[in-house]
Amino acid sequence: MMNQIILGLSTGATYSLVAIGLVMMYKVSGVMNFAYANMGMFVTYLIWWLATGAGVNLYVSIAIGIAFAAVMGVVVERYGLRPIRHLSHASMLIVTFGILMILEGLAMQIWGTDYKAFPELVTGAPYVFRGDFGIFVLRRQDILIFSILIAVSIALLIFTRYTKFGIAVRAVSENEETAGYMGINVGSVLAFSWGFGASMAAVVGIVAAPKVFVSPTMLTYYQIQGFTAAVLGGFETFTGAVFGGLILGVIEKLVGNYISEGFKATISLVIIIIVLIFFPKGLFGRNVRGRV
Amino acid sequence: MANNSKNIEVKNLQVWYGPVHAVKGIDLSIKGGSITTILGANGAGKSTTLKALAGGVKYTGSISVGDEIIDALPVHKRVEKGIVLCPEGRGIFYSMTVKENLLAGAYRNKKVDYSSVLDIFPVLKDRINQIAGTLSGGEQQMLAIARALMSNPSYLLLDEPSLGLAPVIIQKIAEVIKRINSSGITVVLVEQNTSLALSIANYAYVLENGKVALHGVPSDLLKSDVIREKYLGGVAK
Repeated sequence: MMNQIILGLSTGATYSLVAIGLVMMYKVSGVMNFAYANMGMFVTYLIWWLATGAGVNLYVSIAIGIAFAAVMGVVVERYGLRPIRHLSHASMLIVTFGILMILEGLAMQIWGTDYKAFPELVTGAPYVFRGDFGIFVLRRQDILIFSILIAVSIALLIFTRYTKFGIAVRAVSENEETAGYMGINVGSVLAFSWGFGASMAAVVGIVAAPKVFVSPTMLTYYQIQGFTAAVLGGFETFTGAVFGGLILGVIEKLVGNYISEGFKATISLVIIIIVLIFFPKGLFGRNVRGRV
Repeated sequence: MANNSKNIEVKNLQVWYGPVHAVKGIDLSIKGGSITTILGANGAGKSTTLKALAGGVKYTGSISVGDEIIDALPVHKRVEKGIVLCPEGRGIFYSMTVKENLLAGAYRNKKVDYSSVLDIFPVLKDRINQIAGTLSGGEQQMLAIARALMSNPSYLLLDEPSLGLAPVIIQKIAEVIKRINSSGITVVLVEQNTSLALSIANYAYVLENGKVALHGVPSDLLKSDVIREKYLGGVAK
């Protein structure tokens, strides 16, 4: 049971990372990015190709990949979404669908549909702890994912609480027009949110790739689960995204283990429905009551 | 606070919202250091004019500060020029604390100084770490004005600060506006509360259907029958 929970938390941490990126883009720009998973997928291919095909050092490849993802996010927002911001929400959603398909098509054209093995970032025997609680196993990959999640969470907390640009991001997410009147350059905040979101997608691709292999649909399931995690957390706060992901990961693991692996995906959709019925603001959604 | 006594000149300002011609050629001359009020009924184009001054809507015509034409400047660049709009309905960032709201207002400043603003609004000092959404309506309006002042503006554009507030609070806000103005900030006040606006303004414009119907000093306007009948609710005879 203990080990199941740890495995669940590890998968859940990846969902949390997906959710953090989705929430950042949604909070600021108001758009649910359907192309998220494929942005991560494309960048993972790029890193794989740099590291295995072009012979670039793996860590350098990763740095290049994440930088490329940030630029891709900024470009998509600036030239794909901002020109139609004044139209409708639906038109922006459709643009993200378009990008989803473009990236998938490109990846297939360039690299084909074969599964590619992605080098593991951390290798070595797992840590095994024995004690009164029984045996429990911690893989190095789990530790890596937890560390990334903790680092990202702390960085986000400091960024949104204590930096001026972080305050500006929150201001724009709450009231874009007023934020502009305060002298905040709304455009650069929008671009930032997409740059950040896309780099999170790249990070997710990198940590998930050793497990799921590199393929055009490698992150699709992660996007769905990340979305569920974000809904669980209320789709507004990063805290919600983090805990939503962890909870979902554990639920999924327990369901897979004690009921059936086949129910894993179904259960997350059932969770979305239940949460939306009983907690429309998510389990962690803040009920801010503004007086008029 | 910065004292910038340059005049703002607005020439032939026109704004379209899609097919709606909201502002149909307005000329304004806002004297540096004054309180200028823009009055009018709902839909007369007051708020739109104010937004155009702040760069928040697309317009034709020209707006200049002193000798400098600022039409090309986007909204956040106008804040650097000292033009700050405090929007209608206050636009408080509800989920953020009072302090964070003020910090957002000081976004363009290198140094953040809360003390001079909190001197004007002592009520905010006690609530500095409170979530802004939990403030009362009057406090929220105070916060909105305080936030706009954080950037040390030369021109403060106020869009209906009295909206939805109790008379006693409205009186407080009027005092605050006078105090801000006496520190050297030019105030442009859009109001539906005509008597309040005329009691504190140096000059007034009355808009009707997107055009200037009347303008003059408040004492003259108060003598006008049109103003008394239409905007002060009184029978003139």
